[in-house]
Amino acid sequence: MKMTPELKTAQENMAPGVITAEGFLGSDTRNLSTILDEDAQILRLLSLDPADAAARLRYFMEEGRRGLGEPVTVDEQWLVKTDEARGHLACPWEDGICRKINVTIERKDTGEKLFYTDLSVHLLEKHGFLEGRGSFFRLNPETVKHVLKLEKQSPKA
Amino acid sequence: MSYLIAPLTVAGLAGIMAALIAVVDKLANNYGEVNISINGGKKEMTVKGGSSLLLTLSSEGLYLPSACGGRGSCGACKCKVTTDVGPHLPTETPYLSPQEMKDNIRLGCQIKVKADIGIEIPEELFNIKQFRATVTSIRDVTHDIKEVLFDLGEETVEFEAGKYVQLVVPPYDKIKGTTQRAYSMSSQPADKNHIELLIRLVPGGIATTYVHQHLKEGEKIDLIGPFGDFKRRMNDSVMICVAGGSGMAPFKSIFYDMLDKGETGREVWYFFGARSTEDMFYLEELKDLETKLPNFHFVPALSEPQEGDGWEGPTGMITDVLDSYIKEKIAVRGRTLEGYLCGSPGMINACNTVMNANGIGPEDIYYDKFA
Repeated sequence: MKMTPELKTAQENMAPGVITAEGFLGSDTRNLSTILDEDAQILRLLSLDPADAAARLRYFMEEGRRGLGEPVTVDEQWLVKTDEARGHLACPWEDGICRKINVTIERKDTGEKLFYTDLSVHLLEKHGFLEGRGSFFRLNPETVKHVLKLEKQSPKA
Repeated sequence: MSYLIAPLTVAGLAGIMAALIAVVDKLANNYGEVNISINGGKKEMTVKGGSSLLLTLSSEGLYLPSACGGRGSCGACKCKVTTDVGPHLPTETPYLSPQEMKDNIRLGCQIKVKADIGIEIPEELFNIKQFRATVTSIRDVTHDIKEVLFDLGEETVEFEAGKYVQLVVPPYDKIKGTTQRAYSMSSQPADKNHIELLIRLVPGGIATTYVHQHLKEGEKIDLIGPFGDFKRRMNDSVMICVAGGSGMAPFKSIFYDMLDKGETGREVWYFFGARSTEDMFYLEELKDLETKLPNFHFVPALSEPQEGDGWEGPTGMITDVLDSYIKEKIAVRGRTLEGYLCGSPGMINACNTVMNANGIGPEDIYYDKFA
């Protein structure tokens, strides 16, 4: 993938202090195009479809909202806590804003946890972006797969 | 020596360009002194132009509400601008209703003070102060909520129970600038020398991480306030209050303020939701308050009590508990009811639905409205 002007703008918006205090890239110094390419490859190797994973993340977020700020058990296997803070965050691609919603999913059998935001789901769904290495909000594909129990997905062509 | 000519020429040109940019920047962005006229000339200030309205006002000791500290993500710093400062910016429009756009309401953090400007703000903002406070104690009230007490030293704070302050978090770790976040005060107004906050850890949250992992007793920190519209209305209506987690804060302040002021006759129902007993706190204090305020009823409820909790109180979602109590115990007496809510937008929406369905109109339900 080439570093288009659109990607260049998005990467500039990901710097600390532009949209969020810590930014979206953590300690990652690679070009955004390289990050996207390499993460797409990891997702393919894990047979994780971004749209399916995003839909599942959104499902847990909505289920967690039933708890009105307190953790709730979802499908007997997960403990989900959805926190809504005041305010919004803009997408670095400048294609919309998301509410400040944080979600913590815990697998009740293993205790493994996954943490993400409303914006994380948008970034994965619309841009295939998981955030840079070392970013607190990075969606680690293997953690996503294990915590959401997506092991049975078939490889996509 | 000729091999030095090219790099020296490039360095020289770069230096000239940098100097030119600095000069142009100084000329183009030098707005000089500008006048800010507030509330039709009630207050005037002459300031150096060029910064955002929010920052300019705060540097003059006038504080607009802001939950994000000027990052344009909370939409709290709204004010009416009575002079022309250009069209609404794309960074403002998501936070403004069509009527607010028509009324030229702007976000103070997004518009720059480049020329004389007129604004209108609520009168109470003239009383907002910045306090240099000392952290007196930090106490865990649950596994993820800390009760933090601040001493204001020589300063005193005047506020109505239910209001909030902005905590100014200093730079730490990778966070370069200061960050402001709003928290309701849990202390009662009678104690003018202290402010108490209840702060729940939000994973990845800049301010809550600082409070939970870095803030120490004895540390000096800035607080700005008091802000907000949330307060009890002085009438005879039955107060139906609902909260969860750190939403406890304004209600603790309100109930103890009622005790301080001898308002012992008013009927109050306080519904507090938590998942299990590890998320429940102040049980003893609030049960004790029931003995001091005869018409105060505390209804804690657990949505998922755990084995070993030994819970004998109501269970289920707080909205379901609220619904059944209103139907079976509160509304049957035929009294006028008022709703008071503190929590996330989702919790407020859900409680509004239950209250509306039980005949409490939107005009009688109070909560701080945030974007």
